[in-house]
Amino acid sequence: MTDVTLSPGKATAAVKRPTGASIGPRWSNALFVAPYLAFYLALLVYPLFKGIWMSMLQSDMFDDTSKFAGLANYYRLFNDKVFIGSVWNTIWFVVMTVPAFVAIGLLLALALNRSDRTSATLRAIFFGTSVLSVTIVTIIWKMMYMPGNGAIAGIMRFFGMEPLAFTTTASLALPAIAITTVWWIIGLPMMLFLAALQQIPGELYEAAALDNASRWRSFWSITMPSIRRTLLVVVIYEIVAQFQLFGQALLLTQGGPNNASRPIVLFIYEQGFRSWNLGYAAAASEILFIIMAVAALAQFFASRKRVEE
Amino acid sequence: MSSIELDSVSKRFGSVEVISELSLTIHSGEFIAFLGPSGCGKSTLLRMIAGLETVNGGEIRIGGERVDHLPPGARGVAMVFQHYALYPHMTVFDNLAFGLKNIGTPKEEIARRIEEAARILEISHLLQRKPGQLSGGQRQRVAIGRALVKDPKAYLFDEPLSNLDAALRVRTRVELARLHQQTRATTIFVTHDQVEAMTLASRIVVMNARKVEQVGTPMDIYGRPATEFVARFVGSPAMNFLPVQVRDRGGLASAMLGDGSVIDTDVPADALPAGAELRVGVRAEAIRVRQDGAIPGKVEVAERLGDRTHLHVRLMDGSTLVAEDTGISQVQPGDAVRLAVEGATAHLFDAAGLAYHARQ
Amino acid sequence: MAASERIVGRGIGNKVILASVVLVAIVWMLPIAWVLILSFKPNSELMISTASAFHPPYTLKNYTDIFQTSGVFRWLWNSAVVSVGVTVGILILSSLAGYGFARAEFKGRDVIFILVLLGLAVPEQAVIIARHQIFSDLKMHNTYPAIILPGLSSAFGVFLMTQYFKAIPKDIDEAAMLDNASRFKIFWKVLLPLTIPAQATLGIFSFLGAWNDYLWPLISATKPEMFTITVGIASTQTNFAQSEGLGFLMAQAIFAGLPVFVVYLFFQKYIVRAVAGAAIT
Ligand SMILES: Nc1ncnc2c1ncn2[C@@H]1O[C@H](COP(=O)(O)OP(=O)(O)OP(=O)(O)O)[C@@H](O)[C@H]1O
Ligand SMILES: [Mg+2]
Repeated sequence: MTDVTLSPGKATAAVKRPTGASIGPRWSNALFVAPYLAFYLALLVYPLFKGIWMSMLQSDMFDDTSKFAGLANYYRLFNDKVFIGSVWNTIWFVVMTVPAFVAIGLLLALALNRSDRTSATLRAIFFGTSVLSVTIVTIIWKMMYMPGNGAIAGIMRFFGMEPLAFTTTASLALPAIAITTVWWIIGLPMMLFLAALQQIPGELYEAAALDNASRWRSFWSITMPSIRRTLLVVVIYEIVAQFQLFGQALLLTQGGPNNASRPIVLFIYEQGFRSWNLGYAAAASEILFIIMAVAALAQFFASRKRVEE
Repeated sequence: MSSIELDSVSKRFGSVEVISELSLTIHSGEFIAFLGPSGCGKSTLLRMIAGLETVNGGEIRIGGERVDHLPPGARGVAMVFQHYALYPHMTVFDNLAFGLKNIGTPKEEIARRIEEAARILEISHLLQRKPGQLSGGQRQRVAIGRALVKDPKAYLFDEPLSNLDAALRVRTRVELARLHQQTRATTIFVTHDQVEAMTLASRIVVMNARKVEQVGTPMDIYGRPATEFVARFVGSPAMNFLPVQVRDRGGLASAMLGDGSVIDTDVPADALPAGAELRVGVRAEAIRVRQDGAIPGKVEVAERLGDRTHLHVRLMDGSTLVAEDTGISQVQPGDAVRLAVEGATAHLFDAAGLAYHARQ
Repeated sequence: MAASERIVGRGIGNKVILASVVLVAIVWMLPIAWVLILSFKPNSELMISTASAFHPPYTLKNYTDIFQTSGVFRWLWNSAVVSVGVTVGILILSSLAGYGFARAEFKGRDVIFILVLLGLAVPEQAVIIARHQIFSDLKMHNTYPAIILPGLSSAFGVFLMTQYFKAIPKDIDEAAMLDNASRFKIFWKVLLPLTIPAQATLGIFSFLGAWNDYLWPLISATKPEMFTITVGIASTQTNFAQSEGLGFLMAQAIFAGLPVFVVYLFFQKYIVRAVAGAAIT
């Protein structure tokens, strides 16, 4: 350092210092969260309670009025075969897709947990379909499923089989939607598993290899225990997500044939915006909310625990 | 430059009190070090002065003006953080300019001051870089520069050297000392490194668990530690403590060790509490190996530091102490030695840890 | 580098696995390839059989037809307006709120934050009937605000930004305080520039989410000129099998899918990192 003294500043004395921020709680600090809170209250909290209120109203189609009906809508729902059917359809759909998401997602992640170009490209392919919208995905799969002109029908004919009418056969409609859904958004569970796998220290595998552990053994004794939390998070996340099945069902099968593939959200949509039974639809949405809130809370606690570990 | 006065300030985090009723006056232009073990509240005290922590009781005055209710920016102090806290997305120039812009300093004045500070700190060639492109030492200088350009009433440093490697730490230490000689700015320097405190500070505030143990010049702290805590904390190796029986020897206290040998101290006997349990405190450098030494013992470990050798010696009564020998000492572990204690530098401590020294 | 690569003697096994995944990936792409081929076929031929897809003639007519007849451009424009609106809105609101929850203390803040987090558990479907009613009462359906605003109430961005702000060392704010910066200046000049990676993540998620959203735009926009591309493409799908313009429909789907696909290719690195990052936190 050179031996220079810093000349005293005159400017500082001349201007009045703006004080700047202070520590500790201040009411004015709430201004940062206020804009979001306004939206949150107006478009989430208020509709939530308004929805509960609406679910207890019986609307009169003719003079556009509604009267309080207590739990009548709920009572009607539990006796509505279509609704009960939609609940079962949704559950069945979740049961079909969630294990597929976990198994295929994990297998892909295990196979693609490498740093070469090929793996990166493959990851991009499997994740890439997730960015498409449901409408494009369903167009693509209609072209696969079409009984006469579809690709699958063509392939089946090529092998001398009788083509199946996927979207119009009661037992096949929901599985067809499930296949489409897995194809569409397998990327997310794969990425979640990949992220978890990358957290496992490589030394663990090297140590296992030195101990002559087989690939299979390392998988069960190292990989699986290390990704237990992610597994749980994926399972719960997918349960919540697949419970919201809507677009694929509406666009591939319209819930048919004979209600065989109608999920809860489609039921709500049709009751609310096709038949304009708003109270009835609101009641159905509250039931969906309760089911999903339980799952979401489970997810919250699962991920909380994960952080604490 | 301004003085800083703390008047019985207290600080609680929840129900835990970390500073209680602490009073301290820092004179204008003084270089003060807060020294103490980790968690004793040094940073908290410094941050209270800066305005980064609220004060639960007492008053803080800077330059005579009461500031404890003022926001940090209004106090006119500058702080250098342990991890530098540079703005990562701004160039070095903008880092230095930010505070000046915020108080409406004219452009030319900002440029002039930054140029001057950069010259002093030898960072002129770095002004257009971002902090991410600087070495640790360079970041340190920028952090100091950011304080320097503000021409503050006081500089506050929170362990600014602890992230530097050993060599750079020594160099920066010297530069800080030189900088202070040039600016004569009131400076508070927080550290848990006694060497930094001893070499830089005009006075040291030794803190321990919520309170000040001693305030004094480095030589005061080292030579006349007020408490057992200070005596143990400052100096390496730590001061030796041995229980003793005290007798009056013409007004001065003679301390008899467990093995019967005697250390003649210069501590006035009448100052000592009557009938109290006392211990003698002697630094290693006051204990030498001599053929005619009064205290026999056996060497257990010899630590060779090159310029000197520390001998861990077990006395006849089983107690141990550390003595110092020359760098070329021939003493081996297992050797029987006799130790001579320089009684004039010995201190006595009562059961509460309070120290009694020779008259000055 | 993944550990398995480094373990000697597993090369062959790895190659077999990779080869099978490549096969799966090819199968995975078949549906898209199929649609792509069909989009280049004359409609008249497809009327008879799609098997003709593997022979010429191929044509660009389906694509040029888009430019003349379809509402796709209007829908793309609507989607762009809506997606940009949602993205910008979310970024602004979430950044402000994230900073507030992470750094700017006020009474009751932590309780409010928990209440906002609870909002993450409320699915859109649970509020959609009431939301529709609200916008009906305001006579706002079939407007951009009606399609955009509900998306701004999502708590996800607030949560993400709060976490991100919390991870920034606090001494940077403190240095800025000592530099006489006001609260807003600390937010705007000092911390916000440090959150650009998070802004990118949240921005991409929000944009794709809004672009692909189906349920709310379907309910709110009932006039074809207010359809987003997602709703618009869906509206063309009715009577699909009997459609005389199968090739045209395919071309339209490919064309509509292109924008997001380009976005994906451009931001792939960010998207992947974002998903991975969201997984670890
Ligand atoms: N924000 C806080 N909330 C609760 N307790 C705190 C907080 N900040 C500090 N403390 C506590 O106050 C005490 C003093 O902390 P402080 O940071 O001042 O110590 P220090 O002397 O600077 O230590 P070090 O040398 O490790 O930096 C510690 O026990 C610490 O745990
Ligand atoms: Mg500290």
